[in-house]
Amino acid sequence: MVQTNTNLKIEIKKAEMELQRPSSSYLVKKNIPTKEIKFISAESPKDDSQYSDISCSFQVTTQLEYELKKGQALITFEDEEVAQNVIKRGKHLVTFGSEEMKLMAKPVPLKTGLSLQVHSKISKKKIDVAGIPNELPEEQMRDKLALSFSKSQNGGGEVEHVEYSVNTQRAVITFLKNGVADNILKHKKYPLFTNTSCYQVDVSPHMKRNVKKLQVFSGISKRTVLLTGLRNIQDDEESIEEDIFIHFQKGSNGGGDVEVVKCALKKPQIAYFEADLDQGCLTWVQ
Amino acid sequence: MAEKFNFPVDDPSQDQLTWENVSRAEIPGPQEEDELWRKKLLKLCYLKEEQKRLKLRKEKLQQLQAEQYVPPKEEVPFPVPQAVLVFQGQTKVGKEVRETVISNLQIHYPLPESSALVSFEDPKVAASLLQHQEHFILLEECRLRVPIHPVELPVPASIKVLTWLCSQKVLVVGLPTDRDLSEEQLLDKLEIFFGRPSNGGGEVTTRELLPGAAVLGFADDKVIQNLIQTCCFKVPLGSQEVPLRVFPYVDGKIQEMEISPCPVPNSVLVLNIPDILDGPDLEDTLEIHFQKPSQGGGEVEALTFVAPGKRSLALFTHEST
Repeated sequence: MVQTNTNLKIEIKKAEMELQRPSSSYLVKKNIPTKEIKFISAESPKDDSQYSDISCSFQVTTQLEYELKKGQALITFEDEEVAQNVIKRGKHLVTFGSEEMKLMAKPVPLKTGLSLQVHSKISKKKIDVAGIPNELPEEQMRDKLALSFSKSQNGGGEVEHVEYSVNTQRAVITFLKNGVADNILKHKKYPLFTNTSCYQVDVSPHMKRNVKKLQVFSGISKRTVLLTGLRNIQDDEESIEEDIFIHFQKGSNGGGDVEVVKCALKKPQIAYFEADLDQGCLTWVQ
Repeated sequence: MAEKFNFPVDDPSQDQLTWENVSRAEIPGPQEEDELWRKKLLKLCYLKEEQKRLKLRKEKLQQLQAEQYVPPKEEVPFPVPQAVLVFQGQTKVGKEVRETVISNLQIHYPLPESSALVSFEDPKVAASLLQHQEHFILLEECRLRVPIHPVELPVPASIKVLTWLCSQKVLVVGLPTDRDLSEEQLLDKLEIFFGRPSNGGGEVTTRELLPGAAVLGFADDKVIQNLIQTCCFKVPLGSQEVPLRVFPYVDGKIQEMEISPCPVPNSVLVLNIPDILDGPDLEDTLEIHFQKPSQGGGEVEALTFVAPGKRSLALFTHEST
């Protein structure tokens, strides 16, 4: 028992330290896009523990973007040096049909992003229960939980273990077999019966998750240049983009091979930036 | 041990090991020895009370952690490594909000025994099979009736990550991507260089390799501050001296992750397949059956059969666009 107490003391100290962190930390909430999933292969590893969870791992990288305001354009050159020279030159006089416009070339201001690997395990045997009312003492409520969750007519099944704390009003129910958890989690609530009433408690998947290889980075573009100063003339965006393309393609204008041009005339546009020379990871600037 | 004493028990459902009960207990037997026992029991009581107190405190802290609210900050107030990006022409279309790019998704899904996971080339075949909850498999002499289900995988929909400056580690950026050295050798060389006080380093406690970078942990905070201040180092890695940069290390953990079920459009899961043929034979029969358009099937891309008493893990990933 002394050992347990010592361990508890260590854990408390750790938690207290973690809580004191907020002053130097920041929170990032991101949505993850849904893409189609397909089956690849099947394997049968010897490790028993792998069969009681659905494990999911993936890499998440912040999508860095730049909002092109009206009168701005982005141009990506094939050659980094060309792009840097265009920026150095600063002012460029570009002809659009019968008009001439003075455009300014600048580096693209990009924000900071996050890249991380997420590993999660969702249990097929356990579920998290929350919002358990404090109607009964701990021991009795634990029994009521075991009983309610074993009722097959409500989607339950044989309960192996109940972990319950009166203080947090939460519990973790472990079922004997795989699959019961899936059944129960088809809904967000589950009926918990006591002698006097029926409560609808919240149920959610029991998940273990952790982050690996977290990297914070600030975006910088070496081949893409921001052009400002486009006046809203009668032409549509496509012909403006073509004129810019033609102008900057010429070495005599201080340009070179152009890959992409995009401009925003009538309304702002959001441009997405990707890793340059990507091999699945970001390349760092020296 | 408790049986040695006669604990006066008022309420049988209450915990018997309490102060009052131990003090009140009658001690049959030689005084000295039993006094020792009483002392031991009292100590146990004390420990138990303490544990209860500690558990309460731990739970409270865990709750606070879960509720922790940190105002989201946009810009990062310390130096960070730069990643080279490029604009390839992709712009936002309509109302889509593309906050993150996800890659390398791998989902390992345990398949139950006596089941088969059938993946078709055409999602329409799967969709039409799933219009009924049961399916009939025709074999030579009999007809099997089996339940058929869509495959739905729990996929993360959004993620809340809490990050903080880690004062015991630094990020070393600029590692060469060519593989002259193995990962182990690379880490060794980094540890050797940054372990030397003459280089501005100190005792290295942890080391980890990231793509193009490494995370090194140090015993001494001052060493860390020093390294960050100096920032640029020329480190001998194998045959050359490579310029590396040192940045503060940001560590993180997931505070919240929302999961939503995502269907696998090409696959169906057939359950409760009766054990009427041997494993490989049954697998072949099933595949032949599901290939037949007359039976509602179509071109089968893959079929995984899990025999009774066996288990299997199915690997799923993103459709490559």
